[in-house]
Amino acid sequence: MNSIARMRSLFGMPLFVGLTYIFLYIPIIILVLFSFNSAAFPSPWQSFTLHWYKELFYTSQLWHSFLNSCIVAFCATALSLLMSIGLVFYDLKAKKIRSYLAFFYGIVIVPEIVFAVGLLSFFSFFEIPLSLPTLVVAHTVLGLGYAVPLIYTRFLEMDRRLIEASLDLGATTSQTFFKVVIPYLKPSCMAAALLLFIISFDDFIIAFFCAGSDAQTLSLYIFSMIRAGISPVINALSTLLLIVSSFFVVAFCSLNNRSRLL
Amino acid sequence: MKEYLRKALRRETPFFVGIPAFIWLVLYFYVPLTFIVLLSFLLHDSASLLQGLTITHYLSFLTYPYVWIFLRSLFFAFTVSCACLCIGYSLAYFLAFKAGRFKTFFLFLVIIPFFTNFLLHIYAWFFVLERNGFLNNLLQFLGIIKEPLHFLNTAGATLVVMVYCYLPFMVLPLYSILEKFDRKLIESSLDLGATAWQTFTRITIPLTISGIQSGFFLVFIPAFGEFVIPGLVGGDKSLFVGTVISTSMLGAHTMADGAAFTVLTGVLLVVVAALLLCVIRSFERKGNV
Amino acid sequence: MIRSIQLKNVKKSYGDESILDGLSLTIPSGKFFALLGPSGCGKTTILRLIGGFETVDAGTIYLGDEDITDKPINKRRINTVFQNYALFPHMNVFDNVAYSQTIKKVDPATIKEKVFKILKTVHLESHAYKAINQLSGGQQQRVALARAIINEPEVLLLDEPLAALDFKLREKMLIELVDLQEKLGTTFIYVTHDQFEALTVADQMAIMNYDGEIEQIGTPKEIYEFPNSSFVAKFVGSTNILQGIINSLNGASYMDSGDLGNILIDISRPVTLSGRSQSNGPEWLKDGQEILLSIRPEKILISKKPREGFSNMLKGMVESIVYHGRSTQYNIRLLNNDKLQVFEQNEEHFPQEVIDYDDEVFVYWQKENAVVLER
Repeated sequence: MNSIARMRSLFGMPLFVGLTYIFLYIPIIILVLFSFNSAAFPSPWQSFTLHWYKELFYTSQLWHSFLNSCIVAFCATALSLLMSIGLVFYDLKAKKIRSYLAFFYGIVIVPEIVFAVGLLSFFSFFEIPLSLPTLVVAHTVLGLGYAVPLIYTRFLEMDRRLIEASLDLGATTSQTFFKVVIPYLKPSCMAAALLLFIISFDDFIIAFFCAGSDAQTLSLYIFSMIRAGISPVINALSTLLLIVSSFFVVAFCSLNNRSRLL
Repeated sequence: MKEYLRKALRRETPFFVGIPAFIWLVLYFYVPLTFIVLLSFLLHDSASLLQGLTITHYLSFLTYPYVWIFLRSLFFAFTVSCACLCIGYSLAYFLAFKAGRFKTFFLFLVIIPFFTNFLLHIYAWFFVLERNGFLNNLLQFLGIIKEPLHFLNTAGATLVVMVYCYLPFMVLPLYSILEKFDRKLIESSLDLGATAWQTFTRITIPLTISGIQSGFFLVFIPAFGEFVIPGLVGGDKSLFVGTVISTSMLGAHTMADGAAFTVLTGVLLVVVAALLLCVIRSFERKGNV
Repeated sequence: MIRSIQLKNVKKSYGDESILDGLSLTIPSGKFFALLGPSGCGKTTILRLIGGFETVDAGTIYLGDEDITDKPINKRRINTVFQNYALFPHMNVFDNVAYSQTIKKVDPATIKEKVFKILKTVHLESHAYKAINQLSGGQQQRVALARAIINEPEVLLLDEPLAALDFKLREKMLIELVDLQEKLGTTFIYVTHDQFEALTVADQMAIMNYDGEIEQIGTPKEIYEFPNSSFVAKFVGSTNILQGIINSLNGASYMDSGDLGNILIDISRPVTLSGRSQSNGPEWLKDGQEILLSIRPEKILISKKPREGFSNMLKGMVESIVYHGRSTQYNIRLLNNDKLQVFEQNEEHFPQEVIDYDDEVFVYWQKENAVVLER
């Protein structure tokens, strides 16, 4: 192989990929760096400070919206997971419902904005006031759209002989469900839970349409802050959220290794 | 009688356990969707009383400005999807085949943005591209420019930020499929005399079409309805489908108008998506015809 | 023109693990060459190095006079049949076989002609337009073969190609492969861990041990009948190994094997160890030398009554009997508690002498039918 071709194959792709990673991370790195800048914008770097982080901690509205986001995410995740597992239980005990799985794919296919608008009109027609519960309802639907395909298909991939062996050894279907199927699905459930939590926590579009004025989530709060212009406090908040997300990613990746979601 | 009921209840327990998911799905997903479809056909008079069915709301959107908005959104969504495809495929290929020991680390780096609130990513770019932001300050500092440039509020900014936000959605399904790809097929192709590029176009791409499909639609569909990014970074506030929907539903026009526009968007999206699906599928060859 | 393959001092490691350490091997041109060895011995590594799928850490690979060590996969005049066939699932049979020609931009008419000619050779003409998943294992294997030979390579590498097929089909395919090689005249290099396959197809074969070294090279018959180490003797077929010390008495050579007494041995055929310095006949095989004796089970005769006219006879008891259809295997416990395996061909439906469990028997063989081994 001539040397030019060799160099191209050796450096071409890694170079392109390297540039892509730089593209992906430069804004974030800059963002994080400037969260420590002592001078407010638009001044360039002055000195290192944690002043903005302190200011962040004292913003009560932030904590209020953070709490809202957590509550909604937690409830939506729990509901979605429980209902998905319920589906698996039904499939195991009674009929196969594989053909109905397709209905759940609709949730991911329809653009979020269309769904959000639909819910909005639905709620306003029945004069249901918009608040945290309506948001939980909306996020649960979203959660079902991810949880059901993930968990149910994982269940379908399960070696049937494990279930047959359990029955052969004298267990009832319910016992098999709790002693064999659930442990098998545990990694997928945990990974799905993580995913669902993040999707709900980071959601903006649905919250934008379906959350009431007293149900401000973190995303909505950030949005209003950005609307007001750039500020180091947002930088500080971003940095913190990034760190939290990293932990979630590590958790997700280690679960993924065990349950092969990706 | 009581005994009979108890027995029936126990027998039907699985049903009661399994049905909530479906109830939720129908009640809070399909019903609302049917709702807006119905709503879009309703005619209200000035006193907001129901008059009858009509398609006037639809007709009002088939006029020039709105058609232009549809096309513009379509164009953006398509461009973003293609850009994400090219960059994303290379990234996924690198991760699956060439990353070796650092695979987990690089994958980690790609997934983090996926798990972070995308508003923060928009903000990050906002921060970089703003008039008083990082890029302008840097360029001025280096003496390359004297006056700050307008990066924000341009179509370019919208495109860049959209690609940035949607890239992980493309990379992950592609990575998933490439990781499971049978390396021996590539070796076999090389063994039979093909160059690396020929192998890529004739073997790798046709066999990863399902990944390309998933990734493409995971980007195209949301991108089409996107309104936050254009709103914050793109300036011209009303030139996107998403922006129209949000303004119409939350204020400017009547509910019925907003509904009609939304339905129109949905239908259009389905049609275009189906067409694109056929196009992508044509790159996948099979056995006997 | 078909050239020979030569590996000179090839070294290959994966991480810290060294697979090949200075291996040299010459594969003669135009022959069916088998590379036999246990799983993990490095035989597949050798194949992948020859094919270009891996690069050597040190050493050279020659095709005739041409140094192909650094040549990329697609430029070598060598083709491979992969273990799981690696057929392209999105193409039908025709397209798979035609692939190499399509790449070279041969005109469609010629391609069609060539493809059908090859398909005919492997008896698949009627399946030309079928999808891959519609074919059986044996048919897929033949498509993989056709795809590789249409290129008319100088060397064809086969990596355990029949591993996924059932026994009867494998037997049939082995014969077809031998015929094909004779017809084409291409050098076939066949890698397997199944000695039955290797013995059936090979003109020449090499045995590798667990350390990635070549123990012996020769024709199947040479290797089977005259192994040069107990590893080869045990790996190819089954054998009985006895040990002892050389002792000569009255001009005849014996092996003093302790409790079993003196066993007559034949040292007129010198045993050489390939790859190492030659150990020559009489000088090496001197009194006091510790040796091993390999006697194949089919070379030993068994009966309840002692018989005259055989070099060696031992007494023992039948521990277990295994019926193999064409032969019966007797596991005998000798007087010193050593075990001996004997195969007797089932020549008759109703044998005159029936040997049963716990019977006391005599086993005997001629000294020429045993092989003296150094290790």
